[in-house]
Amino acid sequence: MTRHHPDSLSLMEYSAGNLSEPHALCIRLHLEQCPHCRSRVDTLNSLGAVMMDHQPKVTVADSSFEQLMARIDSSPQVSSPVVPQPKVSPLQKLLGDDINALPWKRQLADVSVLDITDKFPGQNERVVLQKLVAGGKAPAHTHRGDETTIVLQGAFADQKGVFNQWDFVVLNEQDEHRPVAVGCEDCITLSVLSAPLKLTGAFTRLLNPFLR
Amino acid sequence: MTTLEQQPTKTEGRKDPWGVLLEKVGKHQDRAAYHALFEHFAPQIKYYAISNGLASHAEELVQEVFVSIWRRSCLYDWRKAAASTWIFTIARNQRIDMLRKMQRTSAEMAVETEDLWQIPGDNEDEPVTSLHRLMSERRIRESLSQLPEEQITVIAKVYMEHKSHQMVADELNIPLGTVKSRVRLALNKLKVILQDQNV
Repeated sequence: MTRHHPDSLSLMEYSAGNLSEPHALCIRLHLEQCPHCRSRVDTLNSLGAVMMDHQPKVTVADSSFEQLMARIDSSPQVSSPVVPQPKVSPLQKLLGDDINALPWKRQLADVSVLDITDKFPGQNERVVLQKLVAGGKAPAHTHRGDETTIVLQGAFADQKGVFNQWDFVVLNEQDEHRPVAVGCEDCITLSVLSAPLKLTGAFTRLLNPFLR
Repeated sequence: MTTLEQQPTKTEGRKDPWGVLLEKVGKHQDRAAYHALFEHFAPQIKYYAISNGLASHAEELVQEVFVSIWRRSCLYDWRKAAASTWIFTIARNQRIDMLRKMQRTSAEMAVETEDLWQIPGDNEDEPVTSLHRLMSERRIRESLSQLPEEQITVIAKVYMEHKSHQMVADELNIPLGTVKSRVRLALNKLKVILQDQNV
């Protein structure tokens, strides 16, 4: 069971459809595993419906409904009922079946990364997968701007607590941390970075893809 | 203590009129019901399009949303969501889709709009959640009138103009913290969100 959730303001931006696609993906992956947050988003969607009703109305063109029916009658392709598709996680669509088998680039002894920004064309953020080997430690670092992270596999711990699979965490420049992968699995996270992170410890001199 | 599923008649009474119409479209392709839904929701969706900066595509968005309603109505289940909530999510997804197509990014994306924005899972098996969903819209509608205008303004900009909290702050020339606290106050009063820290 996940214990670290997105805050209500982020869920509201999600419900309103205002987040960037990488951010929406992080929330969506959390929702898949979290009935509590699903229920919160449900309620926020209702708020959206009530707001839409609360706003002014604009009369549609006179021919609008006729046009609509003409379109529906024109071809079965337009009007055929939607058949529910087998549920495939967006993660699987994006990264395939085994996230462990991706072309990871080893960056430090315990840390591998994979930049997947190019899977989100037209977005301004960097999207990065990070893998910390089981029991491994990442160097101390802080973050510039906001970094939204969701745990896809395993768990990591830092001074703020333990983050398990599907936990959601937002870090910013105030958060210097030194994550350690706990448990017997490699810890894999998906992070959306509004700006590169900054190493603060002894590893500062090492080439870091986050620093370009 | 009586539970929801032990009271089918009472539950049936909670059906909203738009949900009844939507079911008629889903089950029988009922055109009169579809027309009634169009009369009620199309002007809302047209305003939604215009306020979202899609003025020149407003009629087109209305059409896309209603084609989607026609095709998806067979999947509508009144126990899962009030009709207006269900229609809101379709309007939102179609708005996102339209913007993606304009930016020509959709062809290159492995994930579709629905993959990112539609709530996953099958909450309908959780009776508490079903009840919660049904009641929440009614409760929000009733409590909205008690909110100060400044809170409604902020929420309207987020939902109707797809503005981030930061953009709302810039536009109203108030600090981001003020925007966030107005939203939190409103959400607490609407009981949308139980205290975050109790999660």
